[in-house]
Amino acid sequence: MVSENSNMSLTDMKEGQTGIIVSVAGGKGATKRLADLGLSPGTEIKVIRKALFSGPVKVLVRGSRIVIGRGLALKIIVALK
Amino acid sequence: MTEEKKLNIVLAGQGNTGKSTVFNFLTGLHQHIGNWAGKTIEKSEGTLFYKGYTVDVLDLPGIYSLTTYSVEEVISREYIINQKPDCVINIVDATNLERNLIFTFQLLELECPVILVLNMVDLAKKKGIRIDSKKLQDILNVHVIPTIASRGAGLTSIIDKAIELKEKKGQHKVHHYGKEIENCIKQLSALLEDIDISYPARWIAIKLLEKDKDIIKLVQKKKPEILEKTKQLQDYLEDIHGHDSSLVIADERSHLTCRITRETETIDANRKASLNDRLSAITTDRFLGYIVMVLILGGMFLTVFMMGDLLSGLFDPLFISWHNWWNDTVGTTFIASLGWAAVESVLALVQIALPYILPFYIILYILEDWGYIARISFLMDNLMHKMGIHGKACISFIIGLGCNVPGCLSCRIMESKRERFITAVLVTLVPCSAVSVIVFGLVGKYVGLLWAFGLYLFALLLIFLVGKILSRLLLGEPVELIMAMPDYKTPQIKTVLYQTWDALKEFVYIAAPIVVISGVAIHGIDLAGWMPFISSILKPVTVNWLGLPAVTGILLIFGILRKELILVMLAAYLGTTHFSDVLSPQQMITFAVVSMFYVPCIATISVLWKEYGWKKALIVCVLEILFAILLAGIVNRILNFVF
Repeated sequence: MVSENSNMSLTDMKEGQTGIIVSVAGGKGATKRLADLGLSPGTEIKVIRKALFSGPVKVLVRGSRIVIGRGLALKIIVALK
Repeated sequence: MTEEKKLNIVLAGQGNTGKSTVFNFLTGLHQHIGNWAGKTIEKSEGTLFYKGYTVDVLDLPGIYSLTTYSVEEVISREYIINQKPDCVINIVDATNLERNLIFTFQLLELECPVILVLNMVDLAKKKGIRIDSKKLQDILNVHVIPTIASRGAGLTSIIDKAIELKEKKGQHKVHHYGKEIENCIKQLSALLEDIDISYPARWIAIKLLEKDKDIIKLVQKKKPEILEKTKQLQDYLEDIHGHDSSLVIADERSHLTCRITRETETIDANRKASLNDRLSAITTDRFLGYIVMVLILGGMFLTVFMMGDLLSGLFDPLFISWHNWWNDTVGTTFIASLGWAAVESVLALVQIALPYILPFYIILYILEDWGYIARISFLMDNLMHKMGIHGKACISFIIGLGCNVPGCLSCRIMESKRERFITAVLVTLVPCSAVSVIVFGLVGKYVGLLWAFGLYLFALLLIFLVGKILSRLLLGEPVELIMAMPDYKTPQIKTVLYQTWDALKEFVYIAAPIVVISGVAIHGIDLAGWMPFISSILKPVTVNWLGLPAVTGILLIFGILRKELILVMLAAYLGTTHFSDVLSPQQMITFAVVSMFYVPCIATISVLWKEYGWKKALIVCVLEILFAILLAGIVNRILNFVF
């Protein structure tokens, strides 16, 4: 079930949760780099691990593991699945 | 026929695809590594002879690899368009097909002949991934060759296909994007037909819609009215999709690759968690991960220094007997002594390079090839952010523990100029093998191992504080970490050796000449008898402020050459290797602190100069000298209460 208000930042997702990217609000360079790695709106994203002390987030996207710094992860908005 | 047949191919791909393994396999020892004209980016070329062909192979800089920033992407595409290689070999990681195909599409847009090398099919199979390479070949209309580069499997057929491709040119297949995007591309391409640009019109149109700065500038010069139309079309696309037109195109590429991947790849979903997955989970665990990291790095460090100490001890009697031989046969005249100074510099370099630096890099690159170093970047990212840099800088720090020269050079992996400079300055504060020799040989041996480790902790703390201050002083937006996390894989001896050689080569080529020349110069000053004068000038600092014997002033000057010289010369000047007879524990610790931080060695200074200009290099040196003297003096006064 998907509720209307299930949008949240990537950093708010728990380990093991899966969602769909709604938007990426990073700087232009970062957004493009993410897109080149396949992280664009509509893509399914799963949080594998969040590092201690609000460190980076490790995610699974399109079969690849990618690490994203916390500051940028905050700006990735996802809809929980 | 004696006419020489030539084939010109380039390797392109994302990081961690085994690209350098392919390059090394193909070219072996026939390699030439230089720099791209006017850039500090490495250019690797090689040649092989195959079936009557002279094959020139160029390794384009990897994208999203250890050595990435956008300049490399520009270099790559300009090379492909302007040099028109016979064939572009796109190396693709079979375990990450979908992500890698995005890059493949960018290559195909350049309308160059492409061969797709599906590498690491063995690892993919282990992960339960099956790729129908025949189907992929049909869909993409390019040759697809499955390979296992680490074992050399399938690599010669790359050249076979490249020759085949050269002899009969295939038709380029255009991969269409969504209707409205194709419509925009068509309108722009039509306008671009009659202008003279070496890039394909369709590619220019795509780049214009993607808001590529370089291409916009190029078109501005040739036919500025196209840009108005571009703006209209960008707005049109943004209206439909609701986000930036550059993302619309990237999105479209992703969808296309997603569809193709679905059609060609099957993943066994019922596979149990592999050893790889479990290992990955442990090493990035929020608690266990840090423990494992400390154990691995600590173990690496201890191994290197225990082995290094043992090996380097074996050289000592050998070199002493050589020195005696030199004195007996060549003599002890001024010139002969200078000659020995040069020989000695070379020998000393060998004595630090072979026992310490070589094993250090072998272990480091085994960890790197295995996939562990990326985990450290993940674990340390947050801490690094506090210094205005990100997790990848950790790699430079660890390399710097071996030798600051490759450490500083490796800062090129950082994305922005600001981060590169901050990382480089911090690397100069990382205790390298030579400094470790002082710390362990003086403090560790005569004051206690705990004090030696304490000094390392102190260095870490200091690096953190300096990083914090630097990131405040140097304005600029911090760059966020974006990094593909590689799977663990068995390290390849060949790759490890190549990487070790690369790092060692930087040490040999850059450090050695400078060290030898300045070694001779300073020995000349010494032989001329000016040293007592210099040490008396430095007396207020060394004796009054730091509480050290006056002779240390001379040692610190020699130390600029190579820091481990400080210890060697200390023994020579004091006439004993029993340092505890002549120095108090307090003096040893103070002396070690000055030696650690007072200035980067001359080879590192030359790297700073090369990479960041002489002004910045000079500022760093002066500040570090003042800072270290101030710091060591304070340490000396605090130690008054301890001892």
